[in-house]
Amino acid sequence: MKHLSDQELMKLVQDGDFSRAAEIFDRYSGRIYNFAYRFLKNSEAAEDATQEVFVKMMKYAKQFHGDAKLSTWLFSITANLCRDYLRKSENKHKEGEETLLTLPANQSYSPERNLERRQDEERVQKALQSLTPEQREAILLSRYQGLSYAEIAQIAGCSEGAVKTRVFRAMETLKKLLSDPLSGEKKWLNVAQ
Amino acid sequence: MAECSAVRERMPELLVESLTPGLREEAHQHIEDCAECGSEWSGFRATWIAMEDFPERTVPPRVRAAFLQQIDALTPKPVVVPFRQRGFFRPLAQAAAVVILVGGSFVAGQRISAPDPLPGNPAVVDSVQLIPIAENRIIRASQVNPDIQGSPDIQNVRFLEVPDKNNEVGIAFDLKSHVTVTGRRDDPSVINLLSYVMQNREHTTQARSSAIQWVQDNYTSTGDADPEIVKALANVLKNDTHEGVRIKAVETLKSLPGTLAPEARAALIDALKNDPNPAVRIKAVDALANLAQAGAPMDAATVDTLRAKASQDDENLYVRVKAAEALNQINL
Repeated sequence: MKHLSDQELMKLVQDGDFSRAAEIFDRYSGRIYNFAYRFLKNSEAAEDATQEVFVKMMKYAKQFHGDAKLSTWLFSITANLCRDYLRKSENKHKEGEETLLTLPANQSYSPERNLERRQDEERVQKALQSLTPEQREAILLSRYQGLSYAEIAQIAGCSEGAVKTRVFRAMETLKKLLSDPLSGEKKWLNVAQ
Repeated sequence: MAECSAVRERMPELLVESLTPGLREEAHQHIEDCAECGSEWSGFRATWIAMEDFPERTVPPRVRAAFLQQIDALTPKPVVVPFRQRGFFRPLAQAAAVVILVGGSFVAGQRISAPDPLPGNPAVVDSVQLIPIAENRIIRASQVNPDIQGSPDIQNVRFLEVPDKNNEVGIAFDLKSHVTVTGRRDDPSVINLLSYVMQNREHTTQARSSAIQWVQDNYTSTGDADPEIVKALANVLKNDTHEGVRIKAVETLKSLPGTLAPEARAALIDALKNDPNPAVRIKAVDALANLAQAGAPMDAATVDTLRAKASQDDENLYVRVKAAEALNQINL
């Protein structure tokens, strides 16, 4: 089967061929799900958000004009959903409860190393949750999704300068939290002082 | 200090390596020379790298499955129109409507008595009030799409002989209007309509049973039975909830001309093995014994089932005897 570009697939979806939406789902659901999970730190909410993003993509397909990348548009929808979820949710006390349970184990590592990695990620996840949603969004899209600050600005609806400020503030907080020797049994990051 | 502030502002861009080569070189030069900025940058860099080493989670398959359901739900469904008329039927239908209208007017005119003439006024009827007449359509089977789409709610099914046309039948029913489909017995539309009526459990037991009986009465002398009819009867035998209807299906299968089709034989074997009602099993073993008696070749599945039934201790005695007789007929 001919490989269609994102734009070509979206054109088909816009014309009512919703069966092609499954191809877009297969291309982007992994990135969307991981972004939503790290943003919300709640796998159920991330699953709901992932599904909702692609349903909205079908419903509002005609609003995609192709002047931005499809990934940017999808992350835009995802970020909006995640912000809404955080606004509505009253489950902040639940945050952090599932990291150790859900991380996939790497078969090439020893059980001890896997446990250590899980603990490390839990610390990063906790640190990420201490950021403001705006800072977290900027860091996740930049660090994990490789989006440019201009694209993040488009998604967040702010200036590029504001995105850079958010990233800077976020990095200051993360550095402090992750290098604090009191926050763990060992100094986790070997940062030169 | 002003330079420190400028370099720190650029650290986010340094992290993602989006600075121009000149600015990048300038920033790194300052970081090497300034201990405070160097420490800040080292911390940023180490944190940034440390955040990388985490595996991506796989999207749970249920999310994809749920999304596929959503695609299905959002996809516009085609409007199902049962009994699509072929193109050339439209003028015919319009002509029929005109005939009904004129006929209706005539009937209405006959039924309305003229008013008593008023003194001095001639007896004039200004207008004729039309009596609404339910639409009654007679459609040739050849003008009906053989594929019955959806599950049209057809009621009051009756079977008719068409006068002066020996080989033609009529199937009358109510859909939105009263409809009679007429055509040759072997017309695909007639066959499919019959199959539909026999299998549709929305109809009453009596209606299904009557339809099967009608098939038995009308399709036993028309050469080999139509495969669609056989298939419908086999489905009835396998799936109908009423034992009386299933018995009627066995009897009809048994009465159909020609070699019993594999589907029909499989349905009979299945009924003999699995039907919960002994009367149905008796009819099924009877039908298979008849086949054996008529010299029809018996396949291994039929023989195995007959053997099993003949020796099954807890089976109805009549079934066991009939199974043994059938085996005897084929010298086994």
